[in-house]
Amino acid sequence: MTLHIVSKSPFSSSALSDCANAVRDGDALLLIEDGVYALSREMPEKLAAAKLYCLAADAAARGLAVPGSIEAIDDARWVSLCTEHHPVVSWFK
Amino acid sequence: MSNIEIEGRQIALDKEGFLRNREDWSPAVAKHLAEAEGITLTEAHWQVIALLQDFYREFELSPAMRPLVKYVGQHLGADKGRSIYLMQLFPPSPARIGSKIAGLPKPTNCL
Amino acid sequence: MANRTLAICRQAPYGSALAREGLEAVLAAAAMDQSPELLFVNDGVFQLLDGQEPAAIEQKSLQRNLQALPMFGVETLHVCKLSLSQRGIDPAQLQITGAEIVLVVDVGKFIAGFDIALNF
Repeated sequence: MTLHIVSKSPFSSSALSDCANAVRDGDALLLIEDGVYALSREMPEKLAAAKLYCLAADAAARGLAVPGSIEAIDDARWVSLCTEHHPVVSWFK
Repeated sequence: MSNIEIEGRQIALDKEGFLRNREDWSPAVAKHLAEAEGITLTEAHWQVIALLQDFYREFELSPAMRPLVKYVGQHLGADKGRSIYLMQLFPPSPARIGSKIAGLPKPTNCL
Repeated sequence: MANRTLAICRQAPYGSALAREGLEAVLAAAAMDQSPELLFVNDGVFQLLDGQEPAAIEQKSLQRNLQALPMFGVETLHVCKLSLSQRGIDPAQLQITGAEIVLVVDVGKFIAGFDIALNF
């Protein structure tokens, strides 16, 4: 399964929607940096069957609450996600 | 950066001896650049120099070794499209030395 | 077995340096006999449009550079079908001499077949 990482806000970048088109059921999606602003609105429908993660520190830094449907993780868990998935795709722009 | 004077013109080179401006190239410039590499240009050299310039016009980049070998093979035949042949003409690194003498930029993907 | 590497090209050619950087990474790898596969998706499909004349904005034609890929041993270009239709591009318009254009319908499945994916 693929791990997708999105680091740009969905309000200024197509990264999240571009990524959503490439996510398969069972893939993991991790929001980091400004990617966590995706928490401010509904997730694209195509992500319904993906496992969603969010870097807790990046959300906290921006004053965003992480809803129960998304798992808030720390750096160590991020590393383990990278080892559990392949390939890892960074949608960084 | 250094300059050379060819046929009364000042030609700017970068610190590795590549032309700063591709428009400065002329056969006389090529001869001078080749001599600096210890190469005396023959008909076989000119053939490959012309092809290197064709390659650049077609793709807007200088070839690395592998595409150069393939391109030469397509245009001059399989007996010349071999690294050993090009190596004899432009030692020790045909893509790099050949590009330099042909007035092209340094191949970016050439170690 | 060697790692299978995919370069995902998803940026339009001239608005940023990323499309060119990506192509240069691919050419460098290919020159070392480590050719990655290429996938053009999202705005990356604009890189393949014919008739690019960027001289007036002081850039080199990325499309011309892409034409060199077969010389570097990259002979198949994968292109997202949805991205083309979203942008009103007819796949028949795309021509890279010496390369085969293969349309990809399920991008997620395609990506999953690789060990390493680089996003440009």
